[in-house]
Amino acid sequence: MAFCRHPGRSVSNPGVVALVALGAALAWPAAGGPVRAGEVGSIVGDVRVVTPSSRRLVTAGAYPGRHVGLPGEQVSTELDNVIVYVDVKGPGAPPPMRATIRQVDEEFVPHVVSVTTGSTVDFPNDDLIFHNVFSLSRSATFDLGRYPRGASKSRTFNRPGIVKVFCHLHSHMSAIVRVFDHPHFATPDDEGRFTLPNLAPGRYDVVAWHERVGEVTHNVTVTAGQASTLSFSLPLTDSR
Amino acid sequence: MTTIFGLARRSPRLVVRVLGFSFAVIACVIVAVFVVLSWQTRDRLTRAVAQNLELGQRRFADHEARRQREQLLQAVALAENPTLKAAVDTYHSERELELPGDQLQRTIQLELEKLQKLLAVPALSVTDTLGAILASAGPGASDWPVGERVQTRAAAQTGPSEAVVRRGPRLYLATVVPLVISGDVVGEFFLAAPLNDAYARELSEEARTDVAILIENRVIASSAPQAVRDVIERLPLPESGTVELDGIEYVVRRLTAVDAASVYAIASVTDAAGTATAEAAMVLAVIGAGALLLAAIGSWWLARTLASPIDGLTTAVAEMARARDFERPLPRSGTSRELDTLADTFDALRRAVAEAEAESEATYLGVIGALAAALDARDPYTAGHSERVADLAMAIGKEMRLSDEDLDTIRLGALLHDIGKIGVPDAVLRKPGTLTPDEFEQIKLHPTLGARILKPLHFLEAHLAIVELHHERPDGRGYPRGLRGNEIPLPARIVHVADAFDAITTARAYRPGRPATEAMAELWRHAGTDFDLEVVHALTATLPTILTARAARAAVVSAAAGPADMVATRMGSLVPFRARSEREAVPYDAAV
Repeated sequence: MAFCRHPGRSVSNPGVVALVALGAALAWPAAGGPVRAGEVGSIVGDVRVVTPSSRRLVTAGAYPGRHVGLPGEQVSTELDNVIVYVDVKGPGAPPPMRATIRQVDEEFVPHVVSVTTGSTVDFPNDDLIFHNVFSLSRSATFDLGRYPRGASKSRTFNRPGIVKVFCHLHSHMSAIVRVFDHPHFATPDDEGRFTLPNLAPGRYDVVAWHERVGEVTHNVTVTAGQASTLSFSLPLTDSR
Repeated sequence: MTTIFGLARRSPRLVVRVLGFSFAVIACVIVAVFVVLSWQTRDRLTRAVAQNLELGQRRFADHEARRQREQLLQAVALAENPTLKAAVDTYHSERELELPGDQLQRTIQLELEKLQKLLAVPALSVTDTLGAILASAGPGASDWPVGERVQTRAAAQTGPSEAVVRRGPRLYLATVVPLVISGDVVGEFFLAAPLNDAYARELSEEARTDVAILIENRVIASSAPQAVRDVIERLPLPESGTVELDGIEYVVRRLTAVDAASVYAIASVTDAAGTATAEAAMVLAVIGAGALLLAAIGSWWLARTLASPIDGLTTAVAEMARARDFERPLPRSGTSRELDTLADTFDALRRAVAEAEAESEATYLGVIGALAAALDARDPYTAGHSERVADLAMAIGKEMRLSDEDLDTIRLGALLHDIGKIGVPDAVLRKPGTLTPDEFEQIKLHPTLGARILKPLHFLEAHLAIVELHHERPDGRGYPRGLRGNEIPLPARIVHVADAFDAITTARAYRPGRPATEAMAELWRHAGTDFDLEVVHALTATLPTILTARAARAAVVSAAAGPADMVATRMGSLVPFRARSEREAVPYDAAV
């Protein structure tokens, strides 16, 4: 979750991930084999997370959320936890990526990561304490065990789906790895803007997903050489 | 003695009065003290018991509140189980993807069962975000079937809390904790116990007082008997305090209030205080009875102390009066100065009276002696007669071994025996020669006359017989009554013989005095008829002594040439005692 996330740290990683994703999308256009530039179009748009976006922290847990950041820091928006994607089936396996989910201040940072199948996610422990990484999800059930500060373990995700990652030592920590079998997904930037490039012309169901909002789908037509625009509004409530 | 309406009522005895008054007062005080004390004791005991119960309940309420807090914390800690939370969270994600959740559900179930084994709580359950049960464990799990929804206040809004949950036929008291991951509520964790009689009894055993669980004033479970349940339902129960119903006082305290359910501790003060009150009353009663007994003994002792010396004095005085013995002093009580003073006064009075009496007696005797002497002096021939008769009679009495008292009586009686002759005219009395029958009748009146003269003098009562009967004869031919033999008192018989002896031996106007031997002969001749035989015997025995003494005295008297002092003429001391055998040995001529 983005609640305690440090903007300085949280923004940089999605940025890296997004760049990687963009590269992948450019290399792997949808609908049929390799296409030339000009034969494909793109979708650009923006995502707004509708209030209440301020999350109330449930304080009764045995481990109240610890926040060791500087005072006056801006709380990052929920946009980091949004994934926009089109549900298309690629011609083959997309190129694998490498992503990182760090363990900082008893948080998984970033909270949400999207990767293509075959990608590997590193889980470096940047905290002063031991952490653990495990998942009970059907698409990837694993337990990386406990490891101290400075150590890092990684996991390759070969099946598409939603993988929820937890820490056995800190039950309030969680992260989400979405694994796609195509490269047409993106995370909005700080202004909510996103781009899904390299799409063959045609009609697409564009999905904006947030773990607590679920899926919001818009239908859009992609024309070659043009950028179709789209706006998402995600109504975020306190609980699912 | 008081008389009321003609009925004689004796005054109550002092001992009874004192006993009655003192005991009545003390008994009243004791009874009053007993009543006040027992009332106060009961009141105090009841209050103490109520306070005690209240204190116990308060302690238990605190204890129970602490226990619940701890249970809440425990539940919170349990809800942090990472596997459980991860499984619940993952379950939600998978459901979104419409993947089968059975495996995750099994994981949740397994985790719950592990926890249940550790805790041994009646029911553990986990619901999803919609309130549907994902899994449950424990003996009460059948009340929490998977898939059913649990209606509670949203724990997500309130944080961990307690709730009363209706599950099928049963009500559960549940600790509800939200399962939170990264600030997100992914489900709820229930730690539940059924609100039933067993639960109430469990609490009751810990609280040592009855426990009742109410929902909207209806008892749904209780450790108390049905009667108390009914009482509870009829009462508006305060949060804490005492309530009274049907004369029974109850101490109540609300231990917990969750939603509409309240758990009350309730205890009957009356029951708890009953035994103690009875015991205290018994102790007080025993003390009271003991005090009453002591009071009775004390009162009795006091009454005795007051009354017995008075009784003693009374008895002593009564004895004194009865025996006419005024010589002995009264006994002293030794316990009462007042009574001793009374006895002293009485003794002084008694002495004064005795002295006065002796004085007057002496005066009387003097007067009477003078009278007798005067009588004797009327006739020169009878001068000294009374005195001589007195001496003779005394000698005879001594010979007959009479008591000193009798001898005194005889002496004085003999002195006065002819006092009645005062009433006989001189012409008759001093007539020389033979008396006419009429004159003799007049003479014969003198014993009766003498008795009449002396009768008013009480102290001469014993002597009257001598005066009145000194002319009676054993053959019954004497006067004035004609008594016979032993009917005539011995002193009178003695004086009769002495009188006759002196009459014979003394000269009269018409004849000379005859010698003693002749007189004795005369007496012996008439002994048994005119004279008492024994008395004549005694005179015979003692006569020589008398004559010797008389001769000696005659010499003294002639030498002194004064009148005889009659008080001093006690011959008794001069007459030595002689044995009867000696007397009988004295020869005399009965025929002379």
